[in-house]
Amino acid sequence: MRIAHLLVPALLVSGMAALAQAPTAPKKPAPTPKNFKLSGQATATVTIEIYTDYECPHCRKLYLETMPEIETKYVKTGKIQVLHRDFPLPGHQYSKLAARYANAAGQLGQYEKAVTQIFTTQADWSQNGNLDGAMAKVFAAGEMVKIKELVKNDAHLDDTVTADFEMGRKDALTETPTLMVVKGGKREKISGFMPPNILGSYLDQVIARK
Amino acid sequence: MKPVYWKWLLLVGRLGLALIFLAAGIAKLREPWAQFAVSLYGFKLLPDDMLEPIAKTLPWAEVALGVAILSGIWLRWFSFLASLIISVFLAVLIRSLAIGLQVDCGCFGSGEALGPMTIVRDSSMLALAAAVTVGAFRMHKTHTVK
Repeated sequence: MRIAHLLVPALLVSGMAALAQAPTAPKKPAPTPKNFKLSGQATATVTIEIYTDYECPHCRKLYLETMPEIETKYVKTGKIQVLHRDFPLPGHQYSKLAARYANAAGQLGQYEKAVTQIFTTQADWSQNGNLDGAMAKVFAAGEMVKIKELVKNDAHLDDTVTADFEMGRKDALTETPTLMVVKGGKREKISGFMPPNILGSYLDQVIARK
Repeated sequence: MKPVYWKWLLLVGRLGLALIFLAAGIAKLREPWAQFAVSLYGFKLLPDDMLEPIAKTLPWAEVALGVAILSGIWLRWFSFLASLIISVFLAVLIRSLAIGLQVDCGCFGSGEALGPMTIVRDSSMLALAAAVTVGAFRMHKTHTVK
Protein backbone atom coordinates (compact mmCIF):
# COMPACT_ATOMS: atom_id res chain seq x y z
CA MET A 1 0.00 0.00 0.00
CA ARG A 2 2.78 2.35 0.92
CA ILE A 3 4.64 1.49 -2.25
CA ALA A 4 1.50 2.26 -4.25
CA HIS A 5 1.16 5.60 -2.47
CA LEU A 6 4.70 6.46 -3.44
CA LEU A 7 4.48 5.12 -7.01
CA VAL A 8 1.39 7.04 -8.08
CA PRO A 9 2.75 10.52 -7.31
CA ALA A 10 6.11 9.56 -8.77
CA LEU A 11 4.50 8.51 -12.03
CA LEU A 12 2.39 11.66 -12.11
CA VAL A 13 5.43 13.86 -11.56
CA SER A 14 7.51 12.09 -14.23
CA GLY A 15 4.58 12.26 -16.63
CA MET A 16 4.15 15.97 -16.07
CA ALA A 17 7.88 16.48 -16.48
CA ALA A 18 7.74 14.63 -19.78
CA LEU A 19 4.83 16.79 -20.92
CA ALA A 20 6.64 19.93 -19.84
CA GLN A 21 9.64 18.88 -21.88
CA ALA A 22 7.58 18.08 -24.97
CA PRO A 23 7.57 21.59 -26.47
CA THR A 24 11.36 21.75 -26.42
CA ALA A 25 11.76 18.34 -28.08
CA PRO A 26 12.65 18.53 -31.80
CA LYS A 27 9.48 18.74 -33.83
CA LYS A 28 8.81 16.81 -37.00
CA PRO A 29 8.50 19.33 -39.82
CA ALA A 30 4.93 19.84 -40.95
CA PRO A 31 4.30 18.10 -44.27
CA THR A 32 4.29 20.52 -47.19
CA PRO A 33 0.77 20.66 -48.60
CA LYS A 34 0.71 18.86 -51.96
CA ASN A 35 -0.12 21.05 -54.91
CA PHE A 36 -3.05 19.13 -56.34
CA LYS A 37 -2.70 20.92 -59.67
CA LEU A 38 0.74 19.40 -60.17
CA SER A 39 1.15 15.79 -61.22
CA GLY A 40 4.20 13.68 -61.93
CA GLN A 41 7.47 12.95 -60.20
CA ALA A 42 9.64 15.71 -58.81
CA THR A 43 12.68 14.18 -60.52
CA ALA A 44 11.28 14.99 -63.98
CA THR A 45 13.43 17.50 -65.84
CA VAL A 46 10.61 18.92 -67.95
CA THR A 47 7.36 20.48 -66.79
CA ILE A 48 4.46 21.44 -68.98
CA GLU A 49 2.21 24.13 -67.64
CA ILE A 50 -1.19 23.94 -69.30
CA TYR A 51 -3.32 27.06 -69.28
CA THR A 52 -6.96 26.22 -69.85
CA ASP A 53 -10.36 27.79 -69.61
CA TYR A 54 -13.11 25.36 -68.64
CA GLU A 55 -15.52 26.75 -71.24
CA CYS A 56 -13.04 26.62 -74.11
CA PRO A 57 -13.80 23.77 -76.58
CA HIS A 58 -10.17 23.37 -77.65
CA CYS A 59 -9.13 23.05 -74.00
CA ARG A 60 -11.70 20.29 -73.61
CA LYS A 61 -10.30 18.54 -76.66
CA LEU A 62 -6.72 18.88 -75.41
CA TYR A 63 -7.62 17.62 -71.96
CA LEU A 64 -9.73 14.68 -73.09
CA GLU A 65 -7.95 13.62 -76.29
CA THR A 66 -4.28 14.52 -75.91
CA MET A 67 -3.54 14.51 -72.21
CA PRO A 68 -4.50 10.87 -71.39
CA GLU A 69 -1.79 9.62 -73.79
CA ILE A 70 0.73 12.15 -72.46
CA GLU A 71 -0.15 11.09 -68.92
CA THR A 72 0.52 7.43 -69.72
CA LYS A 73 3.69 7.90 -71.74
CA TYR A 74 5.37 10.82 -70.02
CA VAL A 75 3.90 11.60 -66.60
CA LYS A 76 3.55 8.10 -65.17
CA THR A 77 6.99 7.18 -66.48
CA GLY A 78 8.55 10.11 -64.62
CA LYS A 79 9.66 12.00 -67.72
CA ILE A 80 7.59 15.13 -67.19
CA GLN A 81 5.46 16.91 -64.64
CA VAL A 82 2.18 18.56 -65.59
CA LEU A 83 0.93 21.71 -63.91
CA HIS A 84 -2.64 22.73 -64.57
CA ARG A 85 -3.09 26.50 -64.69
CA ASP A 86 -6.43 28.28 -64.90
CA PHE A 87 -6.86 31.10 -67.36
CA PRO A 88 -10.58 31.94 -67.35
CA LEU A 89 -11.31 34.16 -70.33
CA PRO A 90 -13.46 37.23 -69.66
CA GLY A 91 -16.15 36.24 -72.18
CA HIS A 92 -16.85 32.92 -70.47
CA GLN A 93 -19.22 33.58 -67.60
CA TYR A 94 -18.99 30.22 -65.80
CA SER A 95 -15.29 29.45 -66.19
CA LYS A 96 -14.31 30.92 -62.84
CA LEU A 97 -17.11 29.03 -61.13
CA ALA A 98 -15.94 25.81 -62.78
CA ALA A 99 -12.42 26.51 -61.52
CA ARG A 100 -13.84 26.94 -57.99
CA TYR A 101 -15.50 23.54 -58.22
CA ALA A 102 -12.30 21.92 -59.48
CA ASN A 103 -10.27 23.53 -56.71
CA ALA A 104 -12.82 22.54 -54.07
CA ALA A 105 -12.60 18.95 -55.27
CA GLY A 106 -8.82 19.33 -55.25
CA GLN A 107 -8.96 20.15 -51.53
CA LEU A 108 -10.59 16.75 -51.08
CA GLY A 109 -7.92 15.05 -53.21
CA GLN A 110 -10.21 14.67 -56.20
CA TYR A 111 -8.87 17.30 -58.58
CA GLU A 112 -8.32 15.14 -61.66
CA LYS A 113 -11.72 13.51 -61.32
CA ALA A 114 -13.39 16.91 -61.10
CA VAL A 115 -11.48 18.42 -64.02
CA THR A 116 -12.30 15.43 -66.21
CA GLN A 117 -15.98 15.68 -65.32
CA ILE A 118 -16.09 19.44 -65.83
CA PHE A 119 -14.58 19.14 -69.31
CA THR A 120 -16.70 16.09 -70.19
CA THR A 121 -19.93 17.89 -69.32
CA GLN A 122 -18.83 21.27 -70.70
CA ALA A 123 -21.71 21.47 -73.19
CA ASP A 124 -24.27 21.09 -70.35
CA TRP A 125 -23.14 23.40 -67.55
CA SER A 126 -21.79 26.11 -69.88
CA GLN A 127 -25.42 26.79 -70.84
CA ASN A 128 -26.68 27.49 -67.34
CA GLY A 129 -23.83 27.24 -64.84
CA ASN A 130 -25.27 24.11 -63.25
CA LEU A 131 -22.00 22.66 -62.06
CA ASP A 132 -23.71 21.03 -59.10
CA GLY A 133 -25.62 18.83 -61.49
CA ALA A 134 -22.52 17.99 -63.52
CA MET A 135 -20.42 17.14 -60.48
CA ALA A 136 -23.15 15.18 -58.72
CA LYS A 137 -22.99 12.61 -61.50
CA VAL A 138 -19.57 11.41 -60.37
CA PHE A 139 -19.26 12.51 -56.74
CA ALA A 140 -21.00 10.88 -53.78
CA ALA A 141 -23.60 12.89 -51.86
CA GLY A 142 -21.23 13.35 -48.89
CA GLU A 143 -18.47 14.64 -51.14
CA MET A 144 -20.87 16.98 -52.90
CA VAL A 145 -21.88 18.53 -49.57
CA LYS A 146 -18.22 19.29 -48.82
CA ILE A 147 -17.53 20.58 -52.34
CA LYS A 148 -20.56 22.88 -52.28
CA GLU A 149 -19.60 24.12 -48.83
CA LEU A 150 -16.10 24.99 -50.05
CA VAL A 151 -17.39 26.62 -53.24
CA LYS A 152 -19.76 28.74 -51.19
CA ASN A 153 -17.57 29.71 -48.26
CA ASP A 154 -13.85 29.25 -48.97
CA ALA A 155 -12.50 32.73 -49.60
CA HIS A 156 -9.13 31.36 -50.75
CA LEU A 157 -10.47 29.00 -53.40
CA ASP A 158 -9.70 31.50 -56.17
CA ASP A 159 -6.17 32.25 -54.98
CA THR A 160 -4.50 29.84 -57.40
CA VAL A 161 -6.75 31.06 -60.23
CA THR A 162 -5.66 34.65 -59.60
CA ALA A 163 -2.01 33.60 -59.42
CA ASP A 164 -2.32 31.51 -62.60
CA PHE A 165 -4.00 34.39 -64.42
CA GLU A 166 -1.18 36.73 -63.42
CA MET A 167 1.37 34.19 -64.58
CA GLY A 168 -0.53 33.89 -67.85
CA ARG A 169 -0.24 37.62 -68.38
CA LYS A 170 3.50 37.41 -67.76
CA ASP A 171 3.65 34.58 -70.31
CA ALA A 172 1.83 36.91 -72.75
CA LEU A 173 -1.05 34.51 -73.30
CA THR A 174 -3.42 35.38 -76.10
CA GLU A 175 -5.52 32.24 -76.23
CA THR A 176 -6.31 28.95 -74.57
CA PRO A 177 -5.17 26.26 -74.46
CA THR A 178 -1.56 27.34 -74.18
CA LEU A 179 1.25 25.11 -73.09
CA MET A 180 4.44 26.36 -71.54
CA VAL A 181 7.14 23.74 -71.87
CA VAL A 182 9.65 24.44 -69.12
CA LYS A 183 13.14 23.02 -68.93
CA GLY A 184 16.05 24.48 -67.00
CA GLY A 185 14.19 27.74 -66.45
CA LYS A 186 13.56 28.22 -70.18
CA ARG A 187 9.89 28.61 -71.06
CA GLU A 188 8.64 27.78 -74.57
CA LYS A 189 5.10 28.70 -75.50
CA ILE A 190 2.81 26.72 -77.79
CA SER A 191 -0.76 27.89 -78.25
CA GLY A 192 -3.70 25.95 -79.59
CA PHE A 193 -4.85 22.36 -79.65
CA MET A 194 -2.12 19.84 -80.26
CA PRO A 195 -2.69 16.20 -81.22
CA PRO A 196 -0.88 13.68 -78.99
CA ASN A 197 1.66 12.62 -81.61
CA ILE A 198 2.87 16.19 -82.12
CA LEU A 199 3.07 17.00 -78.41
CA GLY A 200 4.73 13.65 -77.72
CA SER A 201 7.32 14.12 -80.45
CA TYR A 202 8.05 17.65 -79.27
CA LEU A 203 8.41 16.50 -75.65
CA ASP A 204 10.84 13.75 -76.72
CA GLN A 205 12.96 16.43 -78.33
CA VAL A 206 12.87 18.72 -75.27
CA ILE A 207 13.62 15.86 -72.86
CA ALA A 208 16.61 14.82 -74.97
CA ARG A 209 18.04 18.36 -74.94
CA LYS A 210 20.96 18.93 -72.56
CA MET B 1 8.44 53.67 -119.44
CA LYS B 2 12.16 53.50 -120.07
CA PRO B 3 13.78 50.07 -119.69
CA VAL B 4 15.94 51.38 -116.85
CA TYR B 5 12.80 52.07 -114.76
CA TRP B 6 11.57 48.55 -115.38
CA LYS B 7 14.89 47.32 -114.10
CA TRP B 8 14.60 49.34 -110.90
CA LEU B 9 10.98 48.32 -110.46
CA LEU B 10 11.94 44.69 -110.80
CA LEU B 11 14.70 45.16 -108.23
CA VAL B 12 12.27 46.69 -105.73
CA GLY B 13 9.72 43.93 -106.35
CA ARG B 14 12.39 41.28 -106.01
CA LEU B 15 13.61 42.71 -102.68
CA GLY B 16 10.03 42.94 -101.40
CA LEU B 17 9.29 39.34 -102.36
CA ALA B 18 12.54 38.11 -100.81
CA LEU B 19 11.81 39.96 -97.56
CA ILE B 20 8.33 38.43 -97.37
CA PHE B 21 9.72 34.90 -97.60
CA LEU B 22 12.57 35.63 -95.22
CA ALA B 23 10.21 37.21 -92.67
CA ALA B 24 7.74 34.31 -92.92
CA GLY B 25 10.44 31.67 -92.51
CA ILE B 26 12.37 33.39 -89.72
CA ALA B 27 9.19 34.13 -87.72
CA LYS B 28 8.33 30.43 -87.78
CA LEU B 29 11.86 29.36 -86.91
CA ARG B 30 11.86 31.62 -83.86
CA GLU B 31 9.03 29.58 -82.39
CA PRO B 32 9.01 25.89 -81.45
CA TRP B 33 8.25 23.81 -84.56
CA ALA B 34 5.26 22.38 -82.68
CA GLN B 35 3.63 25.81 -82.85
CA PHE B 36 3.62 25.75 -86.65
CA ALA B 37 2.43 22.13 -86.52
CA VAL B 38 -0.55 23.37 -84.46
CA SER B 39 -1.37 25.92 -87.18
CA LEU B 40 -1.07 23.28 -89.91
CA TYR B 41 -3.29 20.92 -87.90
CA GLY B 42 -5.96 23.61 -87.71
CA PHE B 43 -6.39 23.63 -91.51
CA LYS B 44 -7.49 19.97 -91.41
CA LEU B 45 -5.82 19.14 -94.71
CA LEU B 46 -2.77 17.11 -93.77
CA PRO B 47 -2.61 13.68 -92.16
CA ASP B 48 -1.23 13.83 -88.60
CA ASP B 49 2.02 12.09 -89.51
CA MET B 50 2.81 14.76 -92.12
CA LEU B 51 2.51 17.67 -89.69
CA GLU B 52 5.91 17.29 -88.07
CA PRO B 53 8.05 16.92 -91.23
CA ILE B 54 6.29 19.85 -92.91
CA ALA B 55 6.44 22.02 -89.79
CA LYS B 56 10.16 21.37 -89.54
CA THR B 57 11.08 21.86 -93.21
CA LEU B 58 8.74 24.49 -94.65
CA PRO B 59 10.19 27.44 -92.67
CA TRP B 60 13.71 26.55 -93.88
CA ALA B 61 12.41 26.25 -97.44
CA GLU B 62 10.89 29.74 -97.13
CA VAL B 63 14.20 31.16 -95.89
CA ALA B 64 16.09 29.41 -98.70
CA LEU B 65 13.66 30.75 -101.30
CA GLY B 66 13.97 34.24 -99.82
CA VAL B 67 17.75 34.08 -100.07
CA ALA B 68 17.55 32.74 -103.64
CA ILE B 69 15.22 35.57 -104.73
CA LEU B 70 17.41 38.10 -102.95
CA SER B 71 20.49 36.85 -104.83
CA GLY B 72 18.78 37.38 -108.19
CA ILE B 73 20.13 34.12 -109.60
CA TRP B 74 17.55 32.34 -111.79
CA LEU B 75 15.10 34.96 -110.62
CA ARG B 76 12.44 34.04 -113.14
CA TRP B 77 12.32 30.44 -111.91
CA PHE B 78 12.52 31.23 -108.18
CA SER B 79 9.88 33.94 -108.45
CA PHE B 80 7.73 31.50 -110.43
CA LEU B 81 8.18 28.96 -107.61
CA ALA B 82 7.27 31.67 -105.08
CA SER B 83 4.09 32.43 -107.07
CA LEU B 84 3.14 28.75 -107.02
CA ILE B 85 3.74 28.46 -103.27
CA ILE B 86 1.75 31.60 -102.48
CA SER B 87 -1.06 30.32 -104.75
CA VAL B 88 -1.23 27.09 -102.75
CA PHE B 89 -1.23 29.00 -99.44
CA LEU B 90 -3.92 31.36 -100.72
CA ALA B 91 -6.11 28.48 -101.90
CA VAL B 92 -5.82 26.83 -98.47
CA LEU B 93 -6.70 30.10 -96.71
CA ILE B 94 -9.72 30.78 -98.94
CA ARG B 95 -11.00 27.23 -98.44
CA SER B 96 -10.56 27.48 -94.64
CA LEU B 97 -12.35 30.81 -94.50
CA ALA B 98 -15.14 29.52 -96.74
CA ILE B 99 -15.87 26.50 -94.54
CA GLY B 100 -15.69 28.62 -91.40
CA LEU B 101 -12.55 27.23 -89.78
CA GLN B 102 -11.36 29.36 -86.88
CA VAL B 103 -7.64 28.90 -87.23
CA ASP B 104 -4.39 30.64 -86.60
CA CYS B 105 -3.01 31.56 -90.02
CA GLY B 106 0.56 30.76 -88.98
CA CYS B 107 1.74 32.76 -92.01
CA PHE B 108 4.23 34.94 -90.14
CA GLY B 109 4.43 32.96 -86.91
CA SER B 110 1.57 32.38 -84.50
CA GLY B 111 -1.04 34.78 -83.17
CA GLU B 112 -2.84 35.86 -86.33
CA ALA B 113 -6.40 34.63 -86.66
CA LEU B 114 -7.43 33.88 -90.23
CA GLY B 115 -9.78 36.55 -91.60
CA PRO B 116 -10.64 38.46 -94.78
CA MET B 117 -7.62 40.72 -94.32
CA THR B 118 -5.35 37.68 -94.45
CA ILE B 119 -6.80 36.87 -97.87
CA VAL B 120 -6.32 40.47 -99.07
CA ARG B 121 -2.71 40.47 -97.87
CA ASP B 122 -1.88 37.10 -99.45
CA SER B 123 -3.56 38.13 -102.71
CA SER B 124 -1.32 41.21 -102.78
CA MET B 125 1.69 39.00 -102.18
CA LEU B 126 0.62 36.76 -105.06
CA ALA B 127 0.23 39.81 -107.32
CA LEU B 128 3.74 40.92 -106.38
CA ALA B 129 5.22 37.46 -107.00
CA ALA B 130 3.42 37.21 -110.35
CA ALA B 131 4.63 40.68 -111.36
CA VAL B 132 8.22 39.82 -110.44
CA THR B 133 7.96 36.56 -112.39
CA VAL B 134 6.61 38.29 -115.51
CA GLY B 135 9.20 41.07 -115.18
CA ALA B 136 12.04 38.58 -114.73
CA PHE B 137 10.96 36.57 -117.78
CA ARG B 138 10.65 39.74 -119.90
CA MET B 139 14.00 41.03 -118.71
CA HIS B 140 15.61 37.68 -119.50
CA LYS B 141 14.01 37.65 -122.96
CA THR B 142 15.21 41.19 -123.69
CA HIS B 143 18.76 40.33 -122.68
CA THR B 144 18.69 37.07 -124.66
CA VAL B 145 17.39 38.78 -127.83
CA LYS B 146 20.06 41.45 -127.55
